[in-house]
Amino acid sequence: MIRFAKLGVVVLGAVVFAATGATDTGRLPVDQLEKAARSDSISIPTPGELFAALGKSEKTNWSGQYRGPMPVTYRNRAQIALNLGGLIADGFIAIEAKDSQQVKNIGSDIIKLAKALGVSEHLLARGKSINEFAENNEWDTLEEELEATQNEVKSSMQSHADQDLVILVTLGGWIRGTQVVTAAIMQKYDERSAKVLRQPALVRFMQLKMNEISPELRQEPLVKNVSEQLNGIEKLVSFPAGKTPTVDEVRKVNEAVGKLMTEIESKELPK
Amino acid sequence: MKRWLPIFLSTLLLAASTSVRAETDAEVGARKDALDVAGAFSNDGFKIRDGHWCGVVKPHDHAVVAVNLYAGNQYWFSAAAAEPGKIAVSVYDESGKQVTTESYNNGEKAAAGFSPADSGQYFVSVDLVEGDGGSFCLVYSYK
Repeated sequence: MIRFAKLGVVVLGAVVFAATGATDTGRLPVDQLEKAARSDSISIPTPGELFAALGKSEKTNWSGQYRGPMPVTYRNRAQIALNLGGLIADGFIAIEAKDSQQVKNIGSDIIKLAKALGVSEHLLARGKSINEFAENNEWDTLEEELEATQNEVKSSMQSHADQDLVILVTLGGWIRGTQVVTAAIMQKYDERSAKVLRQPALVRFMQLKMNEISPELRQEPLVKNVSEQLNGIEKLVSFPAGKTPTVDEVRKVNEAVGKLMTEIESKELPK
Repeated sequence: MKRWLPIFLSTLLLAASTSVRAETDAEVGARKDALDVAGAFSNDGFKIRDGHWCGVVKPHDHAVVAVNLYAGNQYWFSAAAAEPGKIAVSVYDESGKQVTTESYNNGEKAAAGFSPADSGQYFVSVDLVEGDGGSFCLVYSYK
């Protein structure tokens, strides 16, 4: 009831506003745009947001985007972080597919990978919540819970002086999310869906964050490889505003992120 | 009620956890109020992001954050100030041009609704319309 009352207030506010006219048009000066705050938790969208945008135009075969079980026995911490991000993206896919068993399986793998990074102390309760929400088919709540789990992993990494790994989790999620979305668009191309791929500033921001990590970690072959390939990916997703990517352009993005994902998943690290 | 549990727990845990910059009590309160505003949109199918952005807003100044949005989604950016006053939320495209939004304004709480035609970077500004300034917090929701 309270929520309805709140909504009423909001709707009333919106109606009152509409009656008085649209927002005044203005412009932010360039220096303010450059000084704008940017943070991992609000400037980088979740895979769930990306999938939500895709789901608007065409019915997507989400379960067709599953991948086989992945190893949870990596030894390299950077590789674990990248795969943890990818696994979280897989969780969002399972939510879109409304597949409770798959959500539970992925939730369990997330806990295993987080344990390997030593950041799992608060996560057992999260794992239980994910299972409970999945059993009750509470899909919207699950999406919020999955993001909260991801943020808790990142927060725990920061408190364990592992802040360098945070961007790798984010990046792993973006790469896997983009791989899935490009594959889905290629299967059933439509212009509206393809427009979600225009994200040059997002890739640039993740590159900047990668440049802030310690020189030792940056020199690790997998991290170095991922970082170098991001340069090429940034160009591939830099479409002019208003331009819709063609099927061929979507394929190029898919090939680039697919190649990266193969390296991230591989038990053989690049040398 | 169950739906609010994870959000509530996340708020508590994030407030309690060590982060790059510890949040002040005022920011935690402002975040709770911003989540209240965002919660109203949940009835309409909007999912609230777990992330948030807190800061200080001063008279005649903009507090601006960069976000990356997807064409096809609808967004609501909800903010609340800790101190009495009046705030407004505005959205600008990547060139800095203000875009037309739906708006909700109620003193120290405000929100802007926007559906981008193009994916990419946008800027959300929290402005102090009346008052002496102070802490604020912004959250966003999408569907």
